[in-house]
Amino acid sequence: MNSAEPRTDALARPPGERPSARGSHTFGPTGMSNTLAQWLRSGAALALTPWIILAILVVLYGARQAGVYTINELNIFTGETLTLILISFGQTLVIVSGGIDLSSGGLLSLVTAIAALHFGDGGAQMWWVMAALIIGSTAAGAVNGFLIGVTGMQPFIVTLATSSVFGGAALWVLPTNGGTVPADWSNFGNGAWLGIGTPVWLLLLLALFWLIFKRTRLWFEIRSVGSSQEAAFLSGVPVTRTIVTTYALAGLFACLAALYYITQSESGNPTVGPEYILTSIIAVVLGGTALIGGRGGFGGTIAGAYIPTLIGSVIFIYGIDSNWQALLEGVLLIFAVLLNVLAAFLVRRRSAA
Amino acid sequence: MSTMPNPPIGPAASAAGNLPQRAWATANGRHRSIVLAYFIAIAMFVITSAFTPGFASPTHIKELLIEASFIGIVGLGQTFVIIGGGVDLSIPYVLCASGIVLTILSGGQNGPLIWVIPVLILLGVLVGLVNGIGIAVLGISPIIMTLGMNVVVQGALLVYLGSRQASRAPPLVVDWTFSSVGPLPINTLIWLGLAVIATVALSWTTFGRRLYAVGTSRIVARFSGVNVVPIMIATYVICAVAAAIAGILYTGFVAQPYLGMGDPYLFASVAAVAVGGAPLIGGSGHYIGTIAGALVLTVLADLLPILNLDPGALQIVYGLTILVTVAAATVRVREGRQ
Repeated sequence: MNSAEPRTDALARPPGERPSARGSHTFGPTGMSNTLAQWLRSGAALALTPWIILAILVVLYGARQAGVYTINELNIFTGETLTLILISFGQTLVIVSGGIDLSSGGLLSLVTAIAALHFGDGGAQMWWVMAALIIGSTAAGAVNGFLIGVTGMQPFIVTLATSSVFGGAALWVLPTNGGTVPADWSNFGNGAWLGIGTPVWLLLLLALFWLIFKRTRLWFEIRSVGSSQEAAFLSGVPVTRTIVTTYALAGLFACLAALYYITQSESGNPTVGPEYILTSIIAVVLGGTALIGGRGGFGGTIAGAYIPTLIGSVIFIYGIDSNWQALLEGVLLIFAVLLNVLAAFLVRRRSAA
Repeated sequence: MSTMPNPPIGPAASAAGNLPQRAWATANGRHRSIVLAYFIAIAMFVITSAFTPGFASPTHIKELLIEASFIGIVGLGQTFVIIGGGVDLSIPYVLCASGIVLTILSGGQNGPLIWVIPVLILLGVLVGLVNGIGIAVLGISPIIMTLGMNVVVQGALLVYLGSRQASRAPPLVVDWTFSSVGPLPINTLIWLGLAVIATVALSWTTFGRRLYAVGTSRIVARFSGVNVVPIMIATYVICAVAAAIAGILYTGFVAQPYLGMGDPYLFASVAAVAVGGAPLIGGSGHYIGTIAGALVLTVLADLLPILNLDPGALQIVYGLTILVTVAAATVRVREGRQ
């Protein structure tokens, strides 16, 4: 699809005209101001909000201490945030598809529990278990998608129920924090290459994956299902298959998040999941993805995911009671959602005018 | 329709032709699932008592009723919210905060309860109002609003607690759990009283009629002259107040409240409504069904230790219960529409 586009474009063009000539015409002075106005109105300004909040927090964090703007500090923060970023990738896809995934936290708990119990001393056994976990989690996500797409139950009910199932299963296999993580695996998660930590490399890899993913047909289908299932269906988008794939990907990314999480915790934690449910939604919503589906992307989610981590650090640096963190997070979520509602309102008013 | 002398005026008129028929179909389906829920509750109880000595003893039945009353009361609020087309995920920390603040404000004494309980109920009203305004007026999705509210209440509770410690429950509150009037614990009598009020409100008041209308379709309800916003706000207020009451009673049961004590009641409240036959899409369901749901879940919770299964298994069972019952109800609704 991608490679076909420029060719048809070239065929449609008069033979003598060169592509650059058309390009320079669009970017004339009037075109520029038009683009700017359009950009402001298109809600792209809203996409900047998480980056602005993030910048303010970074400045606040750096103002109290010297020498914080280093690669090392980036390594530490990314190390703390990568679990959330990974789980939020799946959440982004699900929310753009018009659903919500409350079960990824439970799946995260379950995978950390099983991994910590069965990774053994590393080596071949670890890789087999890891492969099984990745396949199993993707299948578990696909079950969510199947129940939502085929039976027509609401996403939040299905994933609320499966989160109870996954969380319960996690407690069943591992009643309290425990198990071991092979040294090989935790060294990988905490290692560095060229002075840059593994988490940052993984994040770059994920960003690259996103840049490719957003050019795929699947991403287009996810967005159209999120905008309107009926319109998507009438336009020939395989709605059920798209929903199943979306939730399967969310399961996959919850598993990857868990596999990364255990390199940091060095043990399985069967009750860690619930705290990631809300924060992943905060990350996605702060990142500018519309809760009603159809609009958004992973770019803003990255900024949105760093914000809760940074708030925790800023609270610590400024000597504020850490009890305030939960309250601030909740208020932040509602603030982010209000921004979201406001954006939707502006879009509606523009289309009405 | 084409033979009618006058064109139908408004949506109500066009639907009037098959309304009785549809109402009958809905009522029939609803009653069938409620009867089914009671049948499951009784069957589970009978089968379990046949294999477990002492399960059907009066003391144990009393224990079951006490445990059921907590699920029953949080389920009451959840029933109203779900009928109205929403869901309340802020129950856990409203319940927990109510219990902990109760012991701190009263200092473990009976005397201050006269003003402490009204204060707690007012706090519940406040939480419900904020939820309701966010959802009905600002248009925030119920899941997000109440999930956020749960964390806000949790955070506020942590800030309020600071270095304070939750103390023991006042003796009077403990008494409500462990002493009886006639054959029933006071706690269960309070539940029964609330159940009667809820049933009357749903079945025989204009509020109830309007609530079902709002849950079925907000737009149709608005065009039929229902003031939608106050009805929706009211459901969240009812839910938060019910959670606050459950928190007070549950504190008497556990004697020493603790953070996170409300967490199981999120799944339990939704599961109770689901087992009670509501498809969780709004506009249908009844509290009479939720009562059966609370009984089923309580027997289930008591069954698991007998089968040597741990709390993890209980969560799995809750989850599967929600899935199976909602799937059944959804399929039924779909068949009803065809």
